[in-house]
Amino acid sequence: MADTAKTGGGSWDATQWYEVKKGDTLSKIAEQFYGDPKLYTTIFEANQDVLKDPNLIQIGQKLRIP
Amino acid sequence: MKKLFALALVIGLAVGVTACGDGGKAAADTAIKAAEAAFSAASAEAMKYVPDEARSVEGAIAAARAAFDKGDFKGATAAASELTAKITALGEAATAKKAELTTAWEGLSTGLPGVVGAITSRVEILSKSKKLPQGITQEAFDGAKSGLDMINSAWTEANDAFKSGDVAGAMARASTVKAKAAEIMAALSMPVPDALK
Repeated sequence: MADTAKTGGGSWDATQWYEVKKGDTLSKIAEQFYGDPKLYTTIFEANQDVLKDPNLIQIGQKLRIP
Repeated sequence: MKKLFALALVIGLAVGVTACGDGGKAAADTAIKAAEAAFSAASAEAMKYVPDEARSVEGAIAAARAAFDKGDFKGATAAASELTAKITALGEAATAKKAELTTAWEGLSTGLPGVVGAITSRVEILSKSKKLPQGITQEAFDGAKSGLDMINSAWTEANDAFKSGDVAGAMARASTVKAKAAEIMAALSMPVPDALK
């Protein structure tokens, strides 16, 4: 997780980011960060500025992990 | 600060009239009392913001008083004379330190709520999870939850201290919040912001 998660630009910025890799789904990412794939909606809702469909994520996309 | 200068002036005047018939006893006593009064006026803030310097001046006043008690009025007057500049510098140092801490507080009070919000959000999300993610034990998660309660409590205290004018107290509590926040974020595999490191 540490190699793909990073902080934002500001020194106080606590935002956690994840860069989508090949084979990722929101469910897999939710399981990685929260332990529960069903919590994918939390990630989807936090990234509605870049995601229109939870089933459509792209390699290299940077997602905010709340 | 004006009061300090006025009291310093009294010390100076007292020192200036040492050529009295009592061997300078009255002038020494006046100078020491003026120094004690000047220190008393500055000590509350000084002890809060520059305690080491304040204790040093306090010791110098005690030394002047001890010289007086031994009958060394000339020495006591000379010591009191030196205290004028020391007490003025003490007041200035306390004011400068308070200003420095106030600036630091402004940075903290802008940045910390976002960090605490991120931790709160993560704890709430993990509380809904059927199992914890790899790398986070139940013990670590329970510790994070109790730590978050501590953070919220300490942050409230820090804000209350700042509102009451106790900038040093506010910063001390905020430092506790910073350290605990960094600890919790690491325990929850969250990135720790540079400002917390």
